[in-house]
Amino acid sequence: MNYTAVVAKDLEDLIPVFIKNRNKEIDLLRAALGSGDYEQLKQISHRMKGVGNSYGFAPISKFGKTIEDGARTSDNAAIEACIGDYVDYLQKVQVVYE
Amino acid sequence: MSAMNEAQAFRVLVVDDDPDMGAYLALLLKKEGMQAEIVEDGDSAMMRVMTDPPDLILLDVMMAGVSGFEICQRLKSEEGTALIPIVLITGLEDQESRVRGIESGADDFLSKPVKREELVARVKTLRRLHETRKELESRRLAAEVERKEAIRKTFSRYASPRLADRIVGDMGKSDDIFAKAHRANVVALFADLRGFTRLTDRTEVGRVVEMLNEYFSILSEAAYRHDATIFNMAGDALLVGFNVPFPQDEPAILAYKCAREMLTRFAPVAARWEEEQRVATGVGIGICMGDTVIGNIGSPH
Repeated sequence: MNYTAVVAKDLEDLIPVFIKNRNKEIDLLRAALGSGDYEQLKQISHRMKGVGNSYGFAPISKFGKTIEDGARTSDNAAIEACIGDYVDYLQKVQVVYE
Repeated sequence: MSAMNEAQAFRVLVVDDDPDMGAYLALLLKKEGMQAEIVEDGDSAMMRVMTDPPDLILLDVMMAGVSGFEICQRLKSEEGTALIPIVLITGLEDQESRVRGIESGADDFLSKPVKREELVARVKTLRRLHETRKELESRRLAAEVERKEAIRKTFSRYASPRLADRIVGDMGKSDDIFAKAHRANVVALFADLRGFTRLTDRTEVGRVVEMLNEYFSILSEAAYRHDATIFNMAGDALLVGFNVPFPQDEPAILAYKCAREMLTRFAPVAARWEEEQRVATGVGIGICMGDTVIGNIGSPH
């Protein structure tokens, strides 16, 4: 499946750092899940919810919501699956500036 | 943006521990011609606000360490920062945060994800309010300056400009010289115009007024030059004080020098008047030193 993110033209300069930070986020999510640190998972996912839609990457906000819910119920399987979807999305997403 | 525009720009402090969100908000504000600075934690925010207060603060609620609520509450409880508008950034569904935000004194809220139109609209509204408040404050200060100037002018009728400035400068202070009646050792100088009665007999009333004005001008100028305070002018008599309302060094010597100057400066005028009116005039001066009560005595009106 291919993904497209429609991003405002004036945000173009911010996007390379934004994508870099999202990849770092994957590492942080995996580490937090590995150590069962649900507080850390809640914090990161809360941040994802805010920043994704603001930049035009709506699925990131959705992943954030899923991970936050999983962290609340300690649902490791759901969190792990969502991190996988997040990785897949970041690898495939095409950015279109408008 | 030119250096001048930058200096006048509306300055927004963005406080968010997510660098991407901070960069996003700052970019939108800059596009609207505002200056935006980003800090990523509560302590840095407090430090920044205390050293260089911004015109508005965009404050994320959920931050590691000090929370946005706590920062908001602290800033709103400090006199110097209470008027800076604060917009709290909360989660969309987070009603509880909004209630806590209101309790902590926030001026407005933005929900994440932040929509640019909403951000710009809210910031612009607060900017207008802030500028109106600043304008009112500067008008209030201007009115205060004007009021003090009017009071200073009034005092200038009775005291030298230097003394008048000092009296106005002391207004409202706990050691205001007129706040409480007190005793002081005062030197009083009393002067009157010798030959005044004969002069009024022989001179047309309009001319007498001109002569009195000339006489009082000479005497009061000499009094001001010696930092005396004028207590009373009546008929041809003048009463001035030294060592009042503020203590002076050697007030008796000042009074003596003042009297000498009054005599010296009036001498050529007296000579001219004698030639003109055929009446000998001069200044009679008495000086006395003693304990006096200083304060506002009588009705406040």
